[in-house]
Amino acid sequence: MLVIGEVHTGLLQNSGEISESTCRQVLGLMAGESVRVSRRPIVHALSPERLTGVDCALPAASRSRIRGVGTVVSRCAVTGGRVAQGSSYVRVVRSETDRRLPWSHYLSRPGVVEVLGKAKAADLAEGFTGDPAPGCLDLGAVSGRFLDLVQASPLLDRRAPFKIPRTSLRWVAETGEPSIRFTLHTEQERTLRLTHPGPFTPAVVDLCEDLATHDWLLTSLLVIVERARIGATPGAQAVARLAPAIDHLMHLWMPAARVEEWLTPFWESLERRPGFTRQWRSLVDRVRDQVAMNTLALLSATAEAGRR
Amino acid sequence: MTPVHATFGEVAAERRIASVPLSHVSVELGHLYMEDFEAGPDRLREQFRRVAPWLATVRSLWRERVPGGRARVSTCFLVDDYFSRFSTPAELVPMVLEAAAEHDLSIDYLARESACAQSGGVELARLVEDRLVDDPPPETDGSRPPVKETGWLCNGSRSPRTAPLQAMGKARPWEPPAQNAKRGHSIFVDVELWDEKGPRRTWSCPFLAAVWQLLRLGLLRSEGRVPLPPVALDGGWPRDWDGLPAVVRLNPQAAPFSAYTTLSVLSPRFLPVELAVRTILSQVAVDDEVLRQVATRSESEGVRLEEELVDRISYVFV
Amino acid sequence: MLVFAISDKGGTGRSVTGTNIVYRHALQGNDVCYLDFDFGSPTAGAIFSVSAVARGTPENGLHEYLRGECPQPRRVDVWAESDREGLRTRPPGAGRLVLLPGSEGGGELSALTDEIVGRCVQLFGRLEEEFDLCMIDVSAGRSFTAELVLAATVRMPAVPFRWLVFHRWTRQHIIAADGLVAGADGLLDVGSRFGHDREDLRDRIRFVRTAVLEPDAAELVGLRDEQRAWLSACDSELRELAGRHGVGRTAMLGKIPLDPVLQWREQLITDEDVLASKIANAETAAAFDELAKKIVDDSAWEGL
Repeated sequence: MLVIGEVHTGLLQNSGEISESTCRQVLGLMAGESVRVSRRPIVHALSPERLTGVDCALPAASRSRIRGVGTVVSRCAVTGGRVAQGSSYVRVVRSETDRRLPWSHYLSRPGVVEVLGKAKAADLAEGFTGDPAPGCLDLGAVSGRFLDLVQASPLLDRRAPFKIPRTSLRWVAETGEPSIRFTLHTEQERTLRLTHPGPFTPAVVDLCEDLATHDWLLTSLLVIVERARIGATPGAQAVARLAPAIDHLMHLWMPAARVEEWLTPFWESLERRPGFTRQWRSLVDRVRDQVAMNTLALLSATAEAGRR
Repeated sequence: MTPVHATFGEVAAERRIASVPLSHVSVELGHLYMEDFEAGPDRLREQFRRVAPWLATVRSLWRERVPGGRARVSTCFLVDDYFSRFSTPAELVPMVLEAAAEHDLSIDYLARESACAQSGGVELARLVEDRLVDDPPPETDGSRPPVKETGWLCNGSRSPRTAPLQAMGKARPWEPPAQNAKRGHSIFVDVELWDEKGPRRTWSCPFLAAVWQLLRLGLLRSEGRVPLPPVALDGGWPRDWDGLPAVVRLNPQAAPFSAYTTLSVLSPRFLPVELAVRTILSQVAVDDEVLRQVATRSESEGVRLEEELVDRISYVFV
Repeated sequence: MLVFAISDKGGTGRSVTGTNIVYRHALQGNDVCYLDFDFGSPTAGAIFSVSAVARGTPENGLHEYLRGECPQPRRVDVWAESDREGLRTRPPGAGRLVLLPGSEGGGELSALTDEIVGRCVQLFGRLEEEFDLCMIDVSAGRSFTAELVLAATVRMPAVPFRWLVFHRWTRQHIIAADGLVAGADGLLDVGSRFGHDREDLRDRIRFVRTAVLEPDAAELVGLRDEQRAWLSACDSELRELAGRHGVGRTAMLGKIPLDPVLQWREQLITDEDVLASKIANAETAAAFDELAKKIVDDSAWEGL
C-alpha cells in the first residue's frame, strides 16, 4: 500500500568527530552483525537493523480506527563522524485475515505492518504526515529512542561543541507518477511525500535519511548564524560564535552522496525548488565573509599598532 | 564524448551472508544431563530403545515426501557440560555410542551444550538475545520502550503494578496477566532467560535449548559466517570438555548437521522446557536474508516449508 | 549542564530564585529550560506568568511522563506563551526559554522504579543535547524526587551536573541545609549509595542564601543604633555557624538580597521592574544576573 517512516537527526554528543572505528563500536547494536561503513565521498556508518513489535491504531486523516500489527525496522547512522540519526520505517500492507495471527507470522515479515480490515492508502498518508492522534503508531518515538542509544554511548564524551535541537522528518513513499513534496512545519518538524516509479526498495529509505541529514545541517547552520547576530555584535564576537559551524558543519554538505541513481532526480528537483544547496552556499559565503572581514580588521589593527 | 557510467563499490559497505548445507530433518536422539549419567548406562540404553522406532518412522516419512526418496536425515546428541561438568569426553562418548549401536542407531553429530552459550569467540546466546523482538500486547504503538523484566520474556502482558507511584495516589486493584494470542482464556508463560550473580551471567536451560534449535535449523550467522560448523575429530577423545569442538562430526558419511526441520525425541519431563523454548523461538527475528536463502533452496528441491519458524520444529515425547 | 535546585525547607524562595536565574541565563544568550519536579506543588508556571499552566498542566505534565502515561512531556515556550507583556517578546540576543510544567493535581513520587529512572535519564539526555542549561526544581528536603535525580545522574556519567542548595540566613536554615547535604541519608549519603563518588558529588554542590538582609543595606538606614549592632552581632554569629557547618563562604555560590517583590509576589524580575516601574531593587536583579553567570563559571566551582 505505502511505506511510512520517520528520521530523527541530531548532533553527535562528542567534542570532536569520531573515527571510523569508534563509529563501528557506537553503532554495534547487535551481536554478530557488523556495522556497514562507506568512506566515499564522506564517511557514513550504518548500524545493523533492529525490529520493534507494534499492535495499534494507524494514523488516519479520517480518524477512522485502523488496526495494524507487525514490526518496525530501525537503524542508526553516523555521517562524517558528527551527525547522528535514528531512523524507522514500516511497509503497510493489507492482511489476509482480519484477526491477529501468531507473533511468529509477523516476525517472518520484518518491517511489515499488516492492516486488519479496511484502509485507504491516501487516508493513511494524509494521517501520518498530518497530526497523528495520540495512541497511533509512533515511529518518531522509536527513532528517538534509537538516537538516544547512540547519544548515550559510553564512548562519547558528551561535550558537544554547541547545543542544537534534533529535527524530525516524517515521510511517506508510494508507487506512482514521480513527485516529491517537502514541507517545513514547526522549527524542528518536516514532512516528505514521495511517489516513486517501481516497487519500494530500501534505497528510498537512504534517500529520506540523506535529505534529513542535509535539512538538519541547513537548519543548524541557520541557527548558528542567527545566534552570531552578525552586525549587532562586534565582529570578533560574531566570528567566535560562528566558529563551531566552521569547525564542525561546513565540510559535511554532500547532497545525494548515498542516493541510488534512479532516485537522484528527486534530490535534483528539490535543488531547483526550494534550492537546498543554494541556501547552504549563501550561508557558507556569509560565514566566510565574516571571518575574512574580521581577519582584515585584525590585520589592519596590528599594522596600525606597528606604525605607532 | 558519451557519458561514462561509473560504478563504485566498497566492501565494508556491503553485507554478505554465507549459506549452510542443509538436511531435510535433524533428529535429536537424546540430551544427556548429569542425572542421566549418574543413573548409569541402562538409562541411556532405555532412551535409545524408545527413540529407535521414531527415527525409522521419520526416515520413511521424509522418503515419501522428497522426490526420488533421497531424504537427508542427520542425527545428533547433546551433552550438558554447561550447568554441571561430569565425566570426560574420553570416558563418556564411547559409552554413549555403544549404547546407541545396541539399538542400531548411529549418532552423526555430538554437541556440547556450553557451545550454545559461547564457543570459539562466538557468543551464540548473546547473538540470539539481540534478535529477540517482544510480542507486543494490543495498544503497543511504539511510543514507549517495550515493557521488560530484565532477563525475562513472556507471551503477553504481566499483571500491572498495583501500588501507586504518587503520594496520596490511588492503588490499582489486582489484574491478571494476559496472553496475547489467547483463545478465550490465557495460558500466560513467563520465561527466565538468564540470571546474574555478580559479573557472571548464567543462561537458562530453555534459552540455550532455543539457541540449539536455531543452530540445528541453520538460521544463525555471526558476522555473516556460519557459527560452529561441525568438525571431525582427529585422534582420540580429549580428557577435558573444553578440548572438544562445539559440534563434532562422528560419521563421515552423515547428511549435513543443519536441516530444514528438526525433531527431538524427549522424555515428557522436558515438556515445560520445550513450551518455554517455543515461547522464546516465536519471538526471535531471524535474519531476512538467511530466511530467504533457506526458502529458495527448499523450493528449488520441491520441499514446502512451514512459513513460521516454530512450525518447523517437532517433538516426540515418549 | 543540568542544575538541580533543592532547599532544606519549604518557603526558602528556591523556585523563584531558580526561575530568575534561568531567565537571566537566557537573557545572556543561552538556550535554557526549567523542569518543575516540585511534584507536590508544581507552580513554576505562575512564576513565569503562563496562566495556562499556573498550577501545572492538565495534560502531558512531567509526572505523567515519569509515570509512563504520556510519551513526551509538554514544553512551554515562555517567550511565546507568557501572559506578561514584558516577557512575551524574546529580547534580541536572548536564547530560548522553555518551561516543562508538572502535572496539575500531581503528588510527590511515592516509589522509585527502574522505569521511572529510565524515563528520567531519557529526558535529561535529550534536553542536555539542545539546552545550555537545564534547571530542575527538585522541591524541598529529602524526597523520592531527589533520589530519582541522584539515581538518574549515576547512569549518565558524562553529562555535567551541579546542585544548588537554597537556604535562608537563619540559624535553623543553616543547620538544616547542612543536614540535607552532609547529614545521615542526605544528598552525599544517598548519592554515594547510588554509586556517586562522595567527594566528587560534594564538589558539585553549592549553597545559595536567599532573602538576605545585609547589615549595611539601604533598608536598614532608619534603624536605631542598638538594632543595627544587634543585627551585626547576629550576622557574625551566623557566619561563624555557617562556617562550622560547611555552609560558609567557600561553599556559597551567591546570595539574593531580601526584596519585597519576591516576598509578596513570586515573579520574574525584569529590567523593566527595576528601571521603569522601580518595584524591584537593582541589587536583586544584579544578584540573579551574577548567579546566572557563576552557575556555569568553572572557577566558581573549583574543589573546596
